[in-house]
Amino acid sequence: MVRVPIEVFRGGAGTPNRFDKFELELEEHTPILTALLKIRDEIDPTLAARYSCRQAICGSCAVRVNGKSRLACVTQVGPELAKRGKLRIEPMGNQPVLRDLVVDQKPFWDRYHRIEPYLIPDPAHPMPVGKENPMSPEQVAQFQETPRCIACASCFSACPALDSDPDFLGPMALAKLFRFVVDPRDGAFHQRLETVQNQSLWLCLRCNLCVEACPKDVRPAERIVDLKWMANQEIGKREAGSKHSIGFAENIQEGGVLNERRLAMDSLGLLGTLGQLPKAITMMRHGRSIKKHPPIQGREQLDVIYNAMSGREDLQHRPMSGEGGVRGKAPPPTPPAASPPAATAPTAAKPRPSGETKEAHP
Amino acid sequence: MQKHDVLVVGAGLAGQRAALEAVRAGRSVGVLSKLHPLRSHSAAAQGGINASLGPQDSPKDHIFDTVKGSDYLADQDAVEVLCNDAGPTVIEMEHFGTIFNRAPDGSLDRRAFGGASYNRTIFSADRTGLALLQGLYEELSREKRIHVFEEWTAIDIVARQGVVQGVVALDRKNGAIEGFSARAVVVATGPFGRMYPNTTNSHASTGDGTALAYRAGAFLKDMEMVQFHPTCLPGSWILITEGARGEGGILKNAKGERFMTRYAPNKLELASRDVVSRAIATEVKEGRGFPDGTCHLELMHLGKEKVMTKLQEIVEFCRNFAGIDPVVEAIPVYPGQHYMMGGVSTNPRAETNITGLYAAGEAACVSVHGANRLGANSLLETLVYGKIAGANAATYAAKAPESGLTQADVDLATKKLHVIWDRTQGESPAKIRQDLQKVMKENVGIYRTPEELLTAQKKVAELKGRYANVYVQDKSTTYNVNLTDALELGYLLDLAECIVAAAILRTESRGAHVRLDFPKRDDANWLKHILVQASPAGPKLSFLPVTVTSYQPMERHY
Repeated sequence: MVRVPIEVFRGGAGTPNRFDKFELELEEHTPILTALLKIRDEIDPTLAARYSCRQAICGSCAVRVNGKSRLACVTQVGPELAKRGKLRIEPMGNQPVLRDLVVDQKPFWDRYHRIEPYLIPDPAHPMPVGKENPMSPEQVAQFQETPRCIACASCFSACPALDSDPDFLGPMALAKLFRFVVDPRDGAFHQRLETVQNQSLWLCLRCNLCVEACPKDVRPAERIVDLKWMANQEIGKREAGSKHSIGFAENIQEGGVLNERRLAMDSLGLLGTLGQLPKAITMMRHGRSIKKHPPIQGREQLDVIYNAMSGREDLQHRPMSGEGGVRGKAPPPTPPAASPPAATAPTAAKPRPSGETKEAHP
Repeated sequence: MQKHDVLVVGAGLAGQRAALEAVRAGRSVGVLSKLHPLRSHSAAAQGGINASLGPQDSPKDHIFDTVKGSDYLADQDAVEVLCNDAGPTVIEMEHFGTIFNRAPDGSLDRRAFGGASYNRTIFSADRTGLALLQGLYEELSREKRIHVFEEWTAIDIVARQGVVQGVVALDRKNGAIEGFSARAVVVATGPFGRMYPNTTNSHASTGDGTALAYRAGAFLKDMEMVQFHPTCLPGSWILITEGARGEGGILKNAKGERFMTRYAPNKLELASRDVVSRAIATEVKEGRGFPDGTCHLELMHLGKEKVMTKLQEIVEFCRNFAGIDPVVEAIPVYPGQHYMMGGVSTNPRAETNITGLYAAGEAACVSVHGANRLGANSLLETLVYGKIAGANAATYAAKAPESGLTQADVDLATKKLHVIWDRTQGESPAKIRQDLQKVMKENVGIYRTPEELLTAQKKVAELKGRYANVYVQDKSTTYNVNLTDALELGYLLDLAECIVAAAILRTESRGAHVRLDFPKRDDANWLKHILVQASPAGPKLSFLPVTVTSYQPMERHY
């Protein structure tokens, strides 16, 4: 047993914000939820908190522990205390506080419902009558870890991009969207990607805070990168984010080194680039030139790398055939080596756990 | 005052399925839930859902296994409906978008489960409840006509002259109390295991709808039948799915013996849950358990890959809640309260004795589980009987007269609530709840004696007396957990009283109900259900014959 000091946020519902301090005798591996319930049962029954299953499956009890979004039921007091020397429990971010640790989750659920979170079957490929859609274990693996999402909103709480743009769907809704985009039973693959490619996909800053916050290893930021990759393949350039991403890749492939002048044009267009002129002038005044570099040596090796990256078999939408059969092994639309490989380069180059990045030796 | 044709109370699998069916039948539908629907306890179901889809399997085999598992207390007409609808139900859920594990040929993968003659448990790793809940909620969210009232606690079910009128409920977010007038009401509020401290159930599992239906005059049935799941993590009482044994996990005592060879020589670890729970309890009681009072569940021999792909959540539970890595070490387990076979008595049309009141899922007792539920039949029951409840509620509501819920009903319920809430001193709900849990753990467990049951009866009555003085310190109208705790404790006390009364009456041992003073099953006198109805003098007990269609009672061997 250790003495555990806990500071708990109190406030909302018209009361002034404050931190209440408690001291409890607890085992080091005691979950924070147990500590909060002990406070409720033995010290202050007026502490408001949301909880139910106490086993990380209902997603009710996400809070901020020392500033990090965590499920109270699986976060143990000992390690947190050892790391930070204190335990400060606050309500989640990006959602208004109702009272104490309870937030209004409307902003979170509204975004979830915006993605049309249900199967939209292709009318041309109706569900087989009286039997299941066949789906191979490999197709199930394409969902990655998204079926594990418990909608706890830890990722939503941690996401800094939500602040900047109300249009941004946020990590959970986008990870959920990925789950439908890779579902072979879904017929709205193109339309779903079209919507986000025009809308909010590129507002993700790729800071990875959602990956760090997710208690179920859904890794939302990686799912967002997957969506970007698929949207670039399927839809192509739409707004500054996708133009920048595709332009970047083309640009590097061309000479092996970044041509910033062209990248600005690719991303922002002529008018947008002109709008950046004052910035460019300031940069030049400070001795930073935006010059074109000569192509690197062995540039042709890049084509091999790009080709290898382009056929990500773990990210193909494989719809059902009309007969209800699996069109699973249909060849992915691998572009020829010289065509623009639309990928967000750093992540696409990273080996994936599913290990399906195609080997492409010349 | 809200007004709907059909009002569903509870939004787990049974409630959502009922709502979906009723709205697609063209009725106006409201759903009341004290949690967001995706936070329902259905999500905690791990192992799978039964359907006889295998090549050798058949609904007939499924029916027989279920009846045998129930120790012949299940109503066989209800079991027939359950098992005949199993295949179509699972396929429908697949079409709704549920992501199930697949066999290499692309079909639904199946695993072995307790008490089943074939591998008939369809699953989604070890989070099948979550997968089904997501699939169903996604389907439900197409229906913009359904009005879901999230985080509302039901405080009254109003019935007059045996006809349901509606529900009164409390908005947890702002303390508002409102009437929900409805021609038909479906109770689907799930389990009530929180009367035990050693339960796998969520904190929300307090039997709200079951208790309110009971108070409104509905019969409860099979209340003495409380299932203890063999493999829980002692302390946290987190469930280790039967799927762990279905995938090949074995049980050992401290002497290293695979003791199930003595209790169930054929099915071993995959005997029915009552049998395996008693075996573990007996091993520990007779001194062959580990010093911490457990037996061990071993998964190490299954190999890392199998454990990680099929039992991934279990690995995390063990790591998070017991500091154990089941890939390399044994899991200490002991039986914990897991499931209530009893609930609001319904017929196979999901109708209760109150006109217009329907019930489904764990809150109900159509009696497909009898004295012992087979693993992976509960998820099936929620969907099959949720759908039936929704369909019949909708048909009834289409012709039923306008509900007569009045403001006076709302005012009366509000007044009763304020008697508790406005009290300025008394005893905290937490203290009374802890004492209730202690009474139930010590006296109404796997093995039961008349002395302990009578002690429990006396103590529950005392606790009800103390509850009359329960004190809600929190006066806030915003998310007042102290208040809902007090209400929920009232529900648990009523239901505990029913469980104890029925357990005292049943002088035989059947399924999960084992009386040390009556160790044998007694079909001559006890092939019948106990019904419980509320009366001013406390629970009034009566009997209902068991419906036997195909299978006469036989001795059970596993």
